[in-house]
Amino acid sequence: MDRRGFLKFAAGGTVGLVASPIIWNTLYDAVYWTQNWGWIPRLKKGASEYLPTVSKLCPSGTGFLVRTVAGTPVRTLSDRNNPVSHGSMTALAAAEAELRVSPARLKKPLRRSPDGAYVAISWAEAEKLLKEHMQAAGSSVAAFSGDPTTSINEVLSAMLYQRGSADFYLMPDEEQPAAAAWTAMGGQGRLGYDIEHSDCVLAVGAPILESWGVVAANRSVFNRTHPAGGTPAQTFVYASPVQNNTAAGADLWLPIKPGTEMALLLGIAHLLIKAGKSGFAAGLPNFAGFAAAYTPEKVTAITGVPADRLEAAVKALTGAKKPLVIAGSALGSGGAAGPVMAAIAVNMLLGSVGREGGLVDMPFPSPVVNGAAEYRHLLTRSLVRYTQSVAAGKTSAPKMLIVYAANPVYALPSDAGVRETLKKAGFSVAVASFMSETCEACDLVLPAALGMEAFDDVLTPYGSGLTTYALARPVAKPFAEARSAGELFIALAQEVGVDLGVKDMPELLYKRAYALGAPFRAMLESGTVHTAVEKGPVSPLFYNWEAIKAAASAKAADAPLQIAPVVVLGMGTAQTAIPPFATKVVTEYQLAGKLSVAQMNAATAARLKVKDGDLLKITAANKVETTVRAAVFEGVMTDTVSLTAGLGHTAFDQFSKGKGANVVTLTSISREPGTNLPVWGNADVNAARA
Amino acid sequence: MEERNNTTTPESAGKTCCCGWGAFVVGLVVALILGWWVLPNLMKETKKQPIAFSHVEHVQNQGMTCDQCHFVRADGTFSGAPTTEQCAECHFTILGKDPEEARFVREYVQTGREIKTEWLIYQKQPDNVFFSHALHFGPLAELQTPADIAKFCSKCHLNVAETSVPPLYRENRLSGYSENTMLMWGCERCHAEHMALGNTNASNACFTCHK
Repeated sequence: MDRRGFLKFAAGGTVGLVASPIIWNTLYDAVYWTQNWGWIPRLKKGASEYLPTVSKLCPSGTGFLVRTVAGTPVRTLSDRNNPVSHGSMTALAAAEAELRVSPARLKKPLRRSPDGAYVAISWAEAEKLLKEHMQAAGSSVAAFSGDPTTSINEVLSAMLYQRGSADFYLMPDEEQPAAAAWTAMGGQGRLGYDIEHSDCVLAVGAPILESWGVVAANRSVFNRTHPAGGTPAQTFVYASPVQNNTAAGADLWLPIKPGTEMALLLGIAHLLIKAGKSGFAAGLPNFAGFAAAYTPEKVTAITGVPADRLEAAVKALTGAKKPLVIAGSALGSGGAAGPVMAAIAVNMLLGSVGREGGLVDMPFPSPVVNGAAEYRHLLTRSLVRYTQSVAAGKTSAPKMLIVYAANPVYALPSDAGVRETLKKAGFSVAVASFMSETCEACDLVLPAALGMEAFDDVLTPYGSGLTTYALARPVAKPFAEARSAGELFIALAQEVGVDLGVKDMPELLYKRAYALGAPFRAMLESGTVHTAVEKGPVSPLFYNWEAIKAAASAKAADAPLQIAPVVVLGMGTAQTAIPPFATKVVTEYQLAGKLSVAQMNAATAARLKVKDGDLLKITAANKVETTVRAAVFEGVMTDTVSLTAGLGHTAFDQFSKGKGANVVTLTSISREPGTNLPVWGNADVNAARA
Repeated sequence: MEERNNTTTPESAGKTCCCGWGAFVVGLVVALILGWWVLPNLMKETKKQPIAFSHVEHVQNQGMTCDQCHFVRADGTFSGAPTTEQCAECHFTILGKDPEEARFVREYVQTGREIKTEWLIYQKQPDNVFFSHALHFGPLAELQTPADIAKFCSKCHLNVAETSVPPLYRENRLSGYSENTMLMWGCERCHAEHMALGNTNASNACFTCHK
């Protein structure tokens, strides 16, 4: 065949191929082939179920529905039948199904090898190590828990107490300073808040619609009392240095300088007394005399709150039938007891203690595990005092340290001494679900099942006005080799000869439910949530004006600039970091590239000689420096810079690691006068254009 | 002066090609054979279903209805092929003399092996398409007999209702999908042409199927 013949043959072949279906079918098949690429998500197909349970990652223990398809959780949804949240849900709980398979999720037990790297080991080896070190440590064992609502704390504390160690601590949270304040004012039970039945709520510092207390329940109340286009059934007044999500929902926002909450509350107390509100209790004359010094002019000078807004807030409180005043910290930990004491005093003036829509004196739960710590006792024990003492060499380091569901390395200021304590501890164990900064500092890391993968519980989170009890039920198999932390600790206790009085988690939860009079079977089978209204006698409170006066004497900020942290639950917690599912709600006003965004008003920006988008170098009093990007926002107090918390992780995954600055690192720990509580949260800083 | 030949035309120019149009025809025929028969068969792998299930036996002889095995769940999802557990509601023991039934009971029911995961779905779609059987079942309520239902279902599916042995499954070696998997034009018979099956009012917007 010559060249011309070949060309004719090829032309005939081309026409033949075009006239056959092979080319088109191959193109079709290529289309389908593109759907096989590994990064394309695969759907799980099968029967859908909507299973009610509670979130153990969300600090407020939000109740939700877990939608499973063929047994695999694919989504979490709000639960309208939940008697606490009434169909509301937090951003963190909404991301829990995706967090279950997060890249940072721990898959296997890891042990630190001599060269510092982690090697995967079997559970049998991990359990053997745990037992050996526990037996060798004797009574020199300490444990930290980051979950205040779980009954697993009783297992851990009983294991330590029965072996002669009292070093079981809860991570610092809102309740510890509040409990100190409540006790100082004569409270004998547990401080609760009946937000639902109040017709006027004043929250000072406490972001009740974002991260303080039982957030989902608070939001539900807000939704019900603020119908769209209708007249609010509850007046909501909020004082904070930043116009955050909670301020956005407030009927009246009081812009306040960071750290001046105490002065604002004393000023309100003074105006209330002047208006004739004088709920009688011992110490009233002395308290009234002390508060009289906080005139509106003085309060405006200290706090920056305009006098007309202060008067409007007082008018809202005096005009309400069931007012309620709440104090808390923006960061959710490291808050002082003083503002809470002042808030209790204001509630006493308003007669808002022990009545519907006021402060509630709730009973403390009794332990159901043999020899476990009482919750009221745990609230008085400070983890930071312990770690600072160990770091300073005043207390001997434990031979074994267990860190459960907590990330103190990230969540506490660097002068808390956590890293030093972990270094000094003979053998440190982290039981966690995600590879956190604390896990990276421990000798042994054990993967814990999530609340939706194992039996656990949520007993009355702080901020509730009801006793609530909900079971976290295993609605899905544990991810990879994760195991129930509760079962792990119970088995360990049995191995080292501790008699807990319970053989497994279901029995522990049954005992807890029985002690509360909760319907365990219904809770187990259908996710029912137990609630109980506390109608017991209220503790005889008194105006502890001396304690309030001492707390009010705390040194005022003297730096030219203050940091006001803003917590957003969509940014996760110290234990979870930023949920991959939630990265799309991280805004340009929180994170710009890899830099945190510092929001400030135009006056502050002009003083610092920066404009929108400029780089700003912040130097904290503890010499920590960080570079951020400036953004002008008029919803921030003058001489204040707002930074979003939850950024600046050095562990976890690509969604969190190296993103922004950890605002906690800018803060330093000080002691509150009077209570001697370790406090942090507001930072004195200097800043200059970078 | 010697005459120079400056032409570039080869000496063979003007001669008839040795093959004429025969080469074209040969190429055409070879390509048609390859394109219509050889390559399509080479690109597809023929597979059998794990069990020679007889729809005729179950529907015509035993009087079962379609929705005893293929039904919409309470949550709106479609059950698809039945599970071993569903089959075992009747076949918990060997009921007849069919060797395939005996094999099913021994290899699946008695061992707990899941038939549903092994069953080859003739029209399995990639996950980039959201398809709800429940939304497409509107006319089913008015259909009474299995034959009518089968006729309706076979608008998209192979009509297996009258088979004693499942059709062979032909899987594309490149994509791994069945040769019966529908392409978008198959959906657009109704979504783009509303009157193709009566007025379906089906939207043809992208997000109707691609979420």
